[in-house]
Amino acid sequence: MTDKILIAFKSIGKNKNRNFLTMLGIIIGIASVICILAIGDGFAHTVTKGMGNHNTRNKVVIMYQPTTEDNTDGGFTNNDEAVLEKIPGVEHVKLTSSVVEAGAKAQYKTKNVTMSLNKQPKHLKLVKGNYFQMSGASNGVYISEDLAHKLFKKNVLNRLISIDGTVFVVQGIYHISDINYRPDAYVSKTVFKQLFANQISKDEARLSVGPKANKKWIGKRAVKQMKKMGEQKNIGTYEVSNPDQVSKQFTKILNDITYFIAFIAGISLLIAGIGVMNVMYITVSERRKEIGIRRAFGATSNDIRNQFLIESVVLCVIGGVIGIIFGYLLVAIINAFLPFKAVITAYALILSLSVSTAVGLIFGFIPSNKAAKSELVGLLKEE
Amino acid sequence: MLKVTNIGKTYGKFTALKNINLEVADGEFLAIMGPSGSGKSTLINILGLLDQSYTGEYLLKNKNYKTVSDNFLSRIRGDQLGFVFQNFKLLTTYNVYENIEIPLIYSKKEQNNKRELVEDVIEKVGLKGKEKNRPSELSGGQQQRVAIARAIVNHPNLVIADEPTGALDSKTSKEIMDIFTKLNQDGTTIIMVTHDSEVAEYAMRTVYIRDGRLYNDEKSVKKS
Ligand SMILES: Nc1ncnc2c1ncn2[C@@H]1O[C@H](COP(=O)(O)OP(=O)(O)OP(=O)(O)O)[C@@H](O)[C@H]1O
Ligand SMILES: [Mg+2]
Repeated sequence: MTDKILIAFKSIGKNKNRNFLTMLGIIIGIASVICILAIGDGFAHTVTKGMGNHNTRNKVVIMYQPTTEDNTDGGFTNNDEAVLEKIPGVEHVKLTSSVVEAGAKAQYKTKNVTMSLNKQPKHLKLVKGNYFQMSGASNGVYISEDLAHKLFKKNVLNRLISIDGTVFVVQGIYHISDINYRPDAYVSKTVFKQLFANQISKDEARLSVGPKANKKWIGKRAVKQMKKMGEQKNIGTYEVSNPDQVSKQFTKILNDITYFIAFIAGISLLIAGIGVMNVMYITVSERRKEIGIRRAFGATSNDIRNQFLIESVVLCVIGGVIGIIFGYLLVAIINAFLPFKAVITAYALILSLSVSTAVGLIFGFIPSNKAAKSELVGLLKEE
Repeated sequence: MLKVTNIGKTYGKFTALKNINLEVADGEFLAIMGPSGSGKSTLINILGLLDQSYTGEYLLKNKNYKTVSDNFLSRIRGDQLGFVFQNFKLLTTYNVYENIEIPLIYSKKEQNNKRELVEDVIEKVGLKGKEKNRPSELSGGQQQRVAIARAIVNHPNLVIADEPTGALDSKTSKEIMDIFTKLNQDGTTIIMVTHDSEVAEYAMRTVYIRDGRLYNDEKSVKKS
């Protein structure tokens, strides 16, 4: 087999220019397949990684939805928690909030402003001041430029402001860009927990269940119980939140993208394939003498067919490999512009090589067959 | 070696061969003579299993190959026959070694070292040192030696040569015929087409073709 591949390489090498031009179609086709797959895979990777944060494997999540828009206070109570914990199969219940920020009123001198606030993140870029993790009881606050302007009309540090009646010292000011959402102010973790967290309504109940539990049944049962006994059943509704649905939707979008790519790639590779077929026809008719000689010295028509098929496949695989390299370069360039990182997976490489091989086989078959079926005496009259 | 009974061949309405009867013994060296267009190549194409569309019966080593599969025919051609074609028929993009190697690529014979076989035969035809040369870098006589080496590298029982000296001067022709004589002495059966009676002298026996008919001596050709 290796010697047959070597023969193919040699024959291809004899018409470098012509064969390179033929390969161009494959190179472009495969490079675009690599690129688009990399973007798709990178996107999928980012999305699924983001979802991995709230692991839902052994959890059933019940959501509380207030009936009216402006009433956001409703949610689960400690009594509800106790009810849910009694459902068979449920090991543990944790009440959380889908809204992580607290709302508050800030006051400076005579100015009153409503604002959102949260516990401070690990890192934050400031336009003024130094950022550090504040100790538990610290009364420092980091505020946005917006809020600073509303309160003081400029960026100044160390002013005292009152948030819901507690006094805080402005430690730093940060900028909110259009892309990254941030609340108006950050306070230390402990302070947030002590003063503000309890005012966030618990509109999620996370039920930890055993690995063998019937999640569907538990979800239905929990919703039924809450509708009957939930303390705030009159001002809101309960339902099972299904995080799978979100990923299903993403998968569907991704699938659509994939089909679109397959369509584009299919067309470019079809055109490339016709090029391959054309060049193989030319090769076969140029080498009638060679075919005749090989047949006279023992080559079967299968040997001849295989020789040209191998040549066609080698041609396409060379194109595919160059296309992959080209694709790598393109992906590197694209990554400079993407908000997420496009990744080339082993699957994409295997797919590219299989597609190249398939193009070689499919479009090389008819010309190779023509070579194999030619009448021997006629071939030997060829010079 | 072979026995031909009443073979005929037509190209449309044109009769290229008619009523050919011929027997060639093992180890014989036969020359076929005749004017251009008389049907010499047509006949040896049939004898060499290159052309299967003929009427009559042809037995090679007592076997009729008329109805065997194409693959099987290829096997017989590669392992039992060796061809030297009218005008060398070398692959111009391959070097001497690669040209000679071709029959071994497809051979199903138990072979020892293929490289040795090629080197042996290169030595036999006197082309040592030219292994890497392309045909275009060789003289006509050297190219014919390559063609002969390729024909005998797989040790065939029967070598069929179509005008092996047609394009060569008399000195080179003599050298080529010496190779054939030696080959025949080593036991290979040879059938050779030529229109040079001096070359035909090297053969044990000569038959004549005229207008698709075979005659066993020159006189009978003239009589008819
Ligand atoms: N494919 C073909 N179709 C029609 N006629 C053909 C074909 N091949 C050969 N012939 C005819 O058959 C006859 C014999 O041809 P052949 O090639 O056997 O001649 P030859 O004796 O080998 O001549 P030369 O010495 O010139 O090689 C010729 O008249 C030729 O025109
Ligand atoms: Mg002839």
